[in-house]
Amino acid sequence: MFRRLRRDRRGISNVIVVVLSLVIILAIVSNVVLWNYDMNQVDWEKMRENVTITGVTNANYGSQYNFKNEGGLTVHLVSLWINNSTLHQHYNINVFVNSAETKTYLSEDIPYPTGSYTIKVVTERGNMAVYSGS
Amino acid sequence: MRKLLRNRRGVTPVLSSLLLTVIAVAGMSIAITATYVITDQLHDSMGERLIVEDVWFTPGQVSLYLRNVGKVSVEVVSVYVNRTDQSVTALELEEGSHGWLHASYSWSADSVYEIKVVTMRGTNVADYYVSPS
Repeated sequence: MFRRLRRDRRGISNVIVVVLSLVIILAIVSNVVLWNYDMNQVDWEKMRENVTITGVTNANYGSQYNFKNEGGLTVHLVSLWINNSTLHQHYNINVFVNSAETKTYLSEDIPYPTGSYTIKVVTERGNMAVYSGS
Repeated sequence: MRKLLRNRRGVTPVLSSLLLTVIAVAGMSIAITATYVITDQLHDSMGERLIVEDVWFTPGQVSLYLRNVGKVSVEVVSVYVNRTDQSVTALELEEGSHGWLHASYSWSADSVYEIKVVTMRGTNVADYYVSPS
């Protein structure tokens, strides 16, 4: 039975075609599924972030900001904005706040805003926290 | 040797086998290239994430500060203000980079504008913004 099967070469090309097609389909599907999983992870982490600005104070030189991380993941603050009616000023920052931690960030380069203002910080994952003061 | 050169028997099967091999290799090359192109495009469009950090209304212009928070580079090609396409210079942002995008627009004070940013791959980010008084 097995000898006969081994000798019979009819239909081999069909089998090869099916196997190659399956390999191609598997490559496409696995690539898309893995990447989709990766991006879902990114979105899920973004949803879990919750950072707030609890206070802005005038320092001797520059200004001081208090950030509170109320989320379950460490956040990386990458951008700080000081906006008022005439100017939107952007500053690059590099602050890490652990989960449940309150962090004070002092910057001599960022002047304390005067008048009515809005402070905004942006995380690396794309979330924002806004603080208004005057 | 001469005898071999003169003997033409068996040439057709060799040629047909060769032709079939070439066709099979070409077919597989096309299939693999198509696979690569399809997955690469899907991969890129699924990996795009873009945020609008800030919108600044200045006289005759609306400026948007964009940040690429995705896993691939993005090219912002269109900005729609209240569903009207505005002329902008395309902005390319590498992974993690950020920058201003300026759109000429005559806005009115104290009005709500729907601003939509569209990338080359079709990802769009839309939100409502209030112009200053």
